Amino acid sequence: MLKPALEAEGLTLGTRLREVSVALEPGRMVAVVGPNGAGKSTLLQVLAGLLHARGRIRWQGRDLARIPFLERGRTLSWLGQESHAEFAFPVREVVAQGRHAWGDDGRGVEAALEALDILHLEARPITELSGGERRRVFLARALATGAPLQLWDEPAANLDVRHALEVLRLGRGLASAGSTLLVSLHDLRTAFRFDDVMVLDQGRLVGFGPPEAILTPELIAAVFRVMAAPAQGLALELP
Amino acid sequence: MRRRAGLVLGLILLLAVAGSLGLGDSNLGPLALLRALAGRGDALDRTILWDLRLPRTLVGIAVGAGLAASGVTMQAFFRNPLASPGLLGVSAGGALGAVAVLALGCQASLLTMPLAAVAGAFLATGAVLVLARRGASPEHLLLSGVALNAFFGAGTSFLLAMSAGKFEVSGQILFWLMGGIENRTWEHVAIGLPGVLLGCALLLPLGRPMNLLSLGEPSAQSLGVDVRRLRWQLIALSTVLTALATAVGGVVGFVGLLVPHLLRLAFGPDHRRLLPLSMVGGAALVLLCDLPTRFVPGGLRLGAMTALVGGPFLLWMLRRNPC
Repeated sequence: MLKPALEAEGLTLGTRLREVSVALEPGRMVAVVGPNGAGKSTLLQVLAGLLHARGRIRWQGRDLARIPFLERGRTLSWLGQESHAEFAFPVREVVAQGRHAWGDDGRGVEAALEALDILHLEARPITELSGGERRRVFLARALATGAPLQLWDEPAANLDVRHALEVLRLGRGLASAGSTLLVSLHDLRTAFRFDDVMVLDQGRLVGFGPPEAILTPELIAAVFRVMAAPAQGLALELP
Repeated sequence: MRRRAGLVLGLILLLAVAGSLGLGDSNLGPLALLRALAGRGDALDRTILWDLRLPRTLVGIAVGAGLAASGVTMQAFFRNPLASPGLLGVSAGGALGAVAVLALGCQASLLTMPLAAVAGAFLATGAVLVLARRGASPEHLLLSGVALNAFFGAGTSFLLAMSAGKFEVSGQILFWLMGGIENRTWEHVAIGLPGVLLGCALLLPLGRPMNLLSLGEPSAQSLGVDVRRLRWQLIALSTVLTALATAVGGVVGFVGLLVPHLLRLAFGPDHRRLLPLSMVGGAALVLLCDLPTRFVPGGLRLGAMTALVGGPFLLWMLRRNPC
């Protein structure tokens, strides 16, 4: 077993998170699932240092709270659920903001624009894009940070099926290059494409491990109150 | 094209400065102006320029640049293009502070009024921060501003009514409430200009992090911005700038809203450009609006002039792209 990249111990924030402890190895793609209000977004925000919770978070053995802001910006990247924008920045400038912690060196911006299929939108004001396009712009910004820890809150929300699949492939590419990804999801079927899955219920971690082992019909019935049966219907893949 | 447009803006400011120095009850031609600036030529011209016009122009620059920079900053801070010192009640808070000093006759030193304006402005900013949390909806923000404007306005009118018998004091207050930069002295320049220049200089390097902030606080923080510190810097600087501008120029509305909006439409939202351009544009607007006040007898005031320009412009803008 590899040394964990990210370790969280006893994270507690009111009733939103209760004693969540987890250790993530580098190069893993981890899905966070749970019903509405289970604490998925809260957990991602706490791990990103945006919300303060009781407990301890260590990144490669270092206390995350002690890592200075700029270094933290190079270490982790957080993608929030909201992709609203008030000001009409051109797409390329938004993506280039991902390099803030690197002194705006512009590296990887082009590649990120390409990876999210938004190169053709680069000069467009972000306010004029559709919800899905804006989502891809903010994903590209997260990608451009080059941070080894990526925390994405429902990245595929508003994305069409092809772009949603491409985001998964992108995540897989990052993970195989050694990054750690933590991605919150609603679609349990998508969770089977991840290495591990964390199941949250009412702020508690009720399951963590490979999806086949964790997402059993019993657990799904207990947590989500739905009946699970082997999937039927379309299997969608990128060409 | 953007660089050229910036140049045009600089040129407009230069013309506005020239107009502000040269035009008035007695006009100075370009040659006389240059001679007087160099300390030569006609003694009367020199007196007009150095004792009357130059302080007025410099105070105008401080008022315009300060209000416009403050407007840009508040808009980035609240992530809302409708935020401005006037609409949020910060100007009204500064005004109440200054009016209190005038009305109560406690002008112990020249610094009393500016200090009171700063205190009033900070009181208003604090109230806005409590009433409208960050990322608050435009409605929430504007209604908070309406409430504060009404509240501070009530205080101001109470003080004004209290001094109704004292004609000199109430006249002073009224004139000051209508905004204006005539009869300014070098003391006013000393109170307003260095502080505004310093505030502007401190704001300029914050343009880049302001860009990140204006697209969302948590994401800015995750990208490496010390958001808490940045928020404090922005709110302190924009409040001080508004307060200083109000202390030396009275209540001058619309500059903080109008200038950033117009320039954002023309040059895009990048604060690294928008901040310096707004400072130049704000100074130019105030100087240009000050010119007609010199020729309309019976007192067309600067505050009325900026509102006369700003009101219709805002309406036009709302029609063009509804929020």
